Amino acid sequence: MTVATSETKSRILLRFTFFERIIHWVVGVTFVALLMSGLAFSYPALFWMTTLFGGGPAARVLHPWFGVAFGIGMVVMIVIWIRDMFLDDGDRQWLAAVKHYALRDADRVPPAGKYNAGQKMFFWFQAVLAVVFLVSGVFLWFPELFTAEILGWMRLSHYLATLGGGVLLVVHVYLGTVAYPGTARAMVDGTVTDRWARHHHPRWHEERTRSELL
Amino acid sequence: MTDSLTIRRVSASPGALIPMDALRSAGPTYSKLVDISKCIGCKGCEVACKEWNDLGVEPTANFGSIQSHKDLSPKTWLLMRFNEVEIEGNLNWLIKKDACLHCEEPGCLFACPAPGAIVQYTNGIVDFNQENCIGCQYCVTGCPFDIPRFDASTRKVSKCNMCVDRVESGLEPACVKTCPTNAISWGSKEDMLALADQKIETLKARGYDNPAVYNPAGVGGTHMMYVVPHGDRLEDYSLPADPTASPAPMTGLVFLKRLGAYLMSFSVIGALVHFLAFGPERLEE
Repeated sequence: MTVATSETKSRILLRFTFFERIIHWVVGVTFVALLMSGLAFSYPALFWMTTLFGGGPAARVLHPWFGVAFGIGMVVMIVIWIRDMFLDDGDRQWLAAVKHYALRDADRVPPAGKYNAGQKMFFWFQAVLAVVFLVSGVFLWFPELFTAEILGWMRLSHYLATLGGGVLLVVHVYLGTVAYPGTARAMVDGTVTDRWARHHHPRWHEERTRSELL
Repeated sequence: MTDSLTIRRVSASPGALIPMDALRSAGPTYSKLVDISKCIGCKGCEVACKEWNDLGVEPTANFGSIQSHKDLSPKTWLLMRFNEVEIEGNLNWLIKKDACLHCEEPGCLFACPAPGAIVQYTNGIVDFNQENCIGCQYCVTGCPFDIPRFDASTRKVSKCNMCVDRVESGLEPACVKTCPTNAISWGSKEDMLALADQKIETLKARGYDNPAVYNPAGVGGTHMMYVVPHGDRLEDYSLPADPTASPAPMTGLVFLKRLGAYLMSFSVIGALVHFLAFGPERLEE
């Protein structure tokens, strides 16, 4: 067991750059706005949420424009993060042990790199869902250009993506905030503590530490 | 026969799919019956519709047809379509009175996400309530007859309302009132079905082989029915042979939304339960 010096204890690591944080929040804020207005259109019991956007007609006008901002954010996010998101052998071991992760049995979770396999899978799911959202959304934005049958299938696809994205968002927010204290600050000022990095992303921590030593 | 506007269905409400008129004794259920064989193509009904509903003039130009306008619009709720079809060597005008058919099971109402933007009265009329319309045009998607029209400037959808204000006062719709040959009849749905049967017999006696009543079952029947002289040529009249109020993707969507409500709720509950079981993670040194 390594003895933590006061120096390493208080050391902080930069996890996300300013640009990465901005892009993350463009995607995050627009996605929540899209989810709320979209669920309002999907469930009569939630129609009151259109009030948050200035009423039903305003929500209908704004929804596709939120989608445009979301789409641009997603494209940038995919471009800047994709090379870190391919699964390696370590990730496959992590996935095989995902049960221990869920049950907080940290000793039996294989060490993760900058992103664990769950985060990588989340990235890929959201990327695929974003494509489904954007393609079907364009159809629904300009319904007069398409036949009723096509639009019906687009409504179905758009909703299916909502269902997937909604569930993933709950998991993402839960794990990134209350479940793991010290995580959310990575998306606020961009930093994490040395201790947090060593615990959650040991391979990344080792890389960063080694590069600093060299 | 007074006719209160008793609500039968309201869009985007839990009971949208379940008619609620069982709660009150329903008044009469009306229907138009359009006998295409008696139409002389005068377009008086188009003018009457414009006048009664204050829809204003839409300039048009000759595009090689006797038809007045190319298509319905937010200001043109009724259009007599003159489809030119050759039958047994002769040119025929297969006329269609193109306007809302007021389906018993309205696809527009089922598709609408805005509470109260579309209502169906027990008298059979399906009416758009523009003050509740959010301009999403899902009704356009849901209508198997391509009737609702979107106005981009007001971002509202409109269509024939069967002159609901006249019907409420015990009058017939303006198009019925004005028709000089009585090609459009008005009365209770049962009376119109009986009249349609008589008209079919007359047409058969006149030598038509396949006259038919157009009252499609896929939308639960309509409150504007047609007597079609060439019942084997529905598509030539621009009448879909097998329209449905609940096409496959919409049926799938209803199921998925229910499933989605459970899954999304359970994901929130699941996160809460997990948090109560494990709490925030504490890192020990």
